[in-house]
Amino acid sequence: MMIFTDKVTKTYQSGEVTIYALKQASIEIPVSKIVAILGPSGSGKSTLLNVIGGIDRYDSGSIQVNNGTLENLKDRQLTEYRRNNVGFIFQQYNLIPTLTVKENVEVGQELSENPLEMEDILQKVGMWDKKDKFPYQLSGGEQQRVAIARALIKNPRLLLCDEPTGALDEETGKNILKLLKFVNDHYGTTILIVTHNQGIGDMAHMAIRMSSGEIVESSHNETPLDPEKVTWS
Amino acid sequence: MTLKKSIFRTLKENKFQYAGVIVLLVLAVMLYISLSMAITTLEERNKHFASDYKQESFHFITGKKLSYDQLSAWEDKFDITLEQRTYKDLSLDETTLRLFSKTEQVNIPYVAEGTVPEEEGEIAISRVYAERNGYHVGDKIDIGSLKAEVTGFVYLPDYIYMVSQLTDLLSDAEKFGIGIASEETLQQLKTSGQSQILGWSKNDVLPKGLREVVESETTLLQYVEAGDNPRIQFVESEIDGAKTMTTTLPLFILALSITMVLMLMKRRLDMQRKEIGTLMALGYRKGELLRHYLGYAWIIGLTGTIVGILAGAGLSIPLSNIYANYFNLPALSMFEFEPFVLVIGLVIPLSLLILLTALVINQSLKAEPLTLLRPKEMAGGKKSWLENLPLMNRGGFIHRYRLRLLVRSKTRSLYIFLGVMFSTILLLFGFITFNSMDQVVEKTYEDILTYEYGVYYKSLKTEKVAGEASPFIMNEIKVKGEDTKITAYGMEKDTPYIQLLSDGKPLNTKLSEGAVLSAPLAAVLGVEGGEELTLEIGNDDTITVKVAGVSDLYIGNTIYLPRSQLNDFLNYPQDAYTGVWQTEEPVESDDIYRIEDKQKAMESFESTSGATRASVLGMSVFAVIIGLIVLTLLTNLIVEENSPSISLFKVMGYYDSEVSKLVLNVYTPIVFLSYFVSIPIAGLSLEQTMNSVVEETGFILPTDVSWWMVLLGFVVIMLTYWLSLTLSKRKLKQVSLQDALKKQQD
Repeated sequence: MMIFTDKVTKTYQSGEVTIYALKQASIEIPVSKIVAILGPSGSGKSTLLNVIGGIDRYDSGSIQVNNGTLENLKDRQLTEYRRNNVGFIFQQYNLIPTLTVKENVEVGQELSENPLEMEDILQKVGMWDKKDKFPYQLSGGEQQRVAIARALIKNPRLLLCDEPTGALDEETGKNILKLLKFVNDHYGTTILIVTHNQGIGDMAHMAIRMSSGEIVESSHNETPLDPEKVTWS
Repeated sequence: MTLKKSIFRTLKENKFQYAGVIVLLVLAVMLYISLSMAITTLEERNKHFASDYKQESFHFITGKKLSYDQLSAWEDKFDITLEQRTYKDLSLDETTLRLFSKTEQVNIPYVAEGTVPEEEGEIAISRVYAERNGYHVGDKIDIGSLKAEVTGFVYLPDYIYMVSQLTDLLSDAEKFGIGIASEETLQQLKTSGQSQILGWSKNDVLPKGLREVVESETTLLQYVEAGDNPRIQFVESEIDGAKTMTTTLPLFILALSITMVLMLMKRRLDMQRKEIGTLMALGYRKGELLRHYLGYAWIIGLTGTIVGILAGAGLSIPLSNIYANYFNLPALSMFEFEPFVLVIGLVIPLSLLILLTALVINQSLKAEPLTLLRPKEMAGGKKSWLENLPLMNRGGFIHRYRLRLLVRSKTRSLYIFLGVMFSTILLLFGFITFNSMDQVVEKTYEDILTYEYGVYYKSLKTEKVAGEASPFIMNEIKVKGEDTKITAYGMEKDTPYIQLLSDGKPLNTKLSEGAVLSAPLAAVLGVEGGEELTLEIGNDDTITVKVAGVSDLYIGNTIYLPRSQLNDFLNYPQDAYTGVWQTEEPVESDDIYRIEDKQKAMESFESTSGATRASVLGMSVFAVIIGLIVLTLLTNLIVEENSPSISLFKVMGYYDSEVSKLVLNVYTPIVFLSYFVSIPIAGLSLEQTMNSVVEETGFILPTDVSWWMVLLGFVVIMLTYWLSLTLSKRKLKQVSLQDALKKQQD
């Protein structure tokens, strides 16, 4: 899935001051690669992820996805775009507490016309044995695995992860990264990971660094590190 | 859709909240269905009984017996059917059985069980009277000079509301019943009897001029049109009144339950905003989410309405039978199925609930997924303008916190106010009605009507009355331009047997200034003391009198005038009278048309008012249940909404009781305020209700709110409030420190 952002700008008004969440952000996201978006808090990395994912709007510029652009899409069309192309993974997992592991994943499965096999996905994320547990019975890492399975089962071409390891310890976090790498290798899914953890940039095929809403650096990594070897920060 | 599973689990997790609103909905639908279907059944039975058994259009009683030829001539002249019927009042133990001769053309008896009494010594009696007094078909009962066999149970179309006198307020089948027998059987009884002429006209068109013709040819003692006959009319008034009640009360409860559902839904959506945001981000369409969240409303609505309909339909059968017994109506049909009522009971509550819930859900779904994924406090946070008032910033932290909570949740405060108001009004309606019963007995029968017996003669008398008796003249008159029939009494100002009172002050002396009106008549005519009334009788003679006062006499449309003045108006001799009031028991004689026994009337009233008192008690229990559900739901929601603060207070070291004071007891002033505001509203609205139905019922109940009602009502409402707080305090105790703090972090 080809994604280009061209001079994307988004501003917030705070009193009389205009704050740039994104300022002329232009980038090309390579297909079927892992891209890490790095930067300090408030640098605009989550905003960039959100506008690419179609859950937030931008003021100017353009985002091109395959042959279409997002800026002209109506709410309904944006929903269809997310439904058919995008999977989301959040820092706080956002599972539905009243549904079991399997049911939470089914919530994603039902959206797709061509979903992946439930058992296959849950086996791959290592949660098949716990498919009948409720979220409150799981650890943070396990909940994140379920969230990944929920995003993956609809077989999206783009997986957007907002601080997926932000609430996890190093060991669990690395396990999640391994899982994401496996997904990328196995399904060819383009994965965008927003993180403040600089080490994650080393395991990505491409790293984008942001500051004050601007993309200050983008670098390609021909030899990404194994997640196990990532320096945790 | 897998999401549906979460609905059932959420409902199970919060079963108390959702069960509360379902119970409210069930109550609303059950009340509507049961009352509507019972009323429909009653209406149909009444309609068929009246038409199929030729219910009288009017009846009259004359001083002298009329010949067959005379009646035949009037039938031809006015195109009506007239039939003579005799009856005798028999004393059986402590009860009165009014035994009628069988008729064939008007007021045809309907025998429900057994057979029509054909032979001498056979009678059929009213079923409800038989049941109350332990008589069965086949029993032989002593009816004075005769031992008669009960051959069946009978219903008469002109005794649907079975009262002994037209002025009686309440029917009491334990004390008074009706029956039929052959003319021969009646003749065997030594008790003196009465003869009345029953009239029936096509399509109930009343014959014009008949009354005047009868009056010109004989002494007319009584002429009652069906519309003025409570034995016929009361059932129709009750149907009309009940129809209003079947819609008003359930509508109020329905509005309350829908409001509660909407509040719960709003709360649910607020709590699940992150879930909604996630589902939107995953690609769920708004329509799909709307349908998902509407699942709550469908489950609540369908459960509430279906259970309500089933319970209501089931309840309508015994209710119809209670009505039927109360009104002495034969069960011509067992159960009137009214599809329209079922449709309204299902469609209206359900569609209102779904539509309004859809609006609430839609409002939440308008937000962008990203907005929903953020905590609400960050998305917005409202500070009330009331917080700028200097009062809000005075006092200690606890005081200021409580005030802020109060003004920040104005909607919650409003609902608590309305919930308390609804319960208070319902409760006070019950108390006032309960108290009115005593007042009616006390004021009417003990303070005002101080005689023991009222003796009504068949013809005009002029001779001096014997002993201590006090003479009076009684006649039916009208107020010019009004349809209301009025009973006029001409009395002696200094009679010891009628003490007309207004707020304890005697009015008898004021008779020299003009007329004294009963409270129902003043309400029907809308007149007060000092105004003038023009009275007229059948021959168009008129007299203008000043209203000297309105007496605390709560039953009947009566007007009291000096006897000489009324005689003068009626063109009777100055000393004429048609009855006497006395304390000694009168001896029955042929010239007596009727004897009114005050003690019997009081006993009858007391015994029948038991049922009214029971229904009043039911109403009060109903008020408490509704109040408890509404207040508990609201306080529960308050705990849920404030769980992060509650948790924080607990972390800081506040005791549960202190947290409860900070969060829950905040609304106590609202409960106080609502209670005291509701008291005058309850009194006024009941007074308005009474005034609006006084024309049909002919009685009015005093609607004074006594101090004990205010006190007792306060205790009941505060206990209900306290109970709801106790239930919600359990929820407050369950608020976990970690969970609530986590919610705040989110």
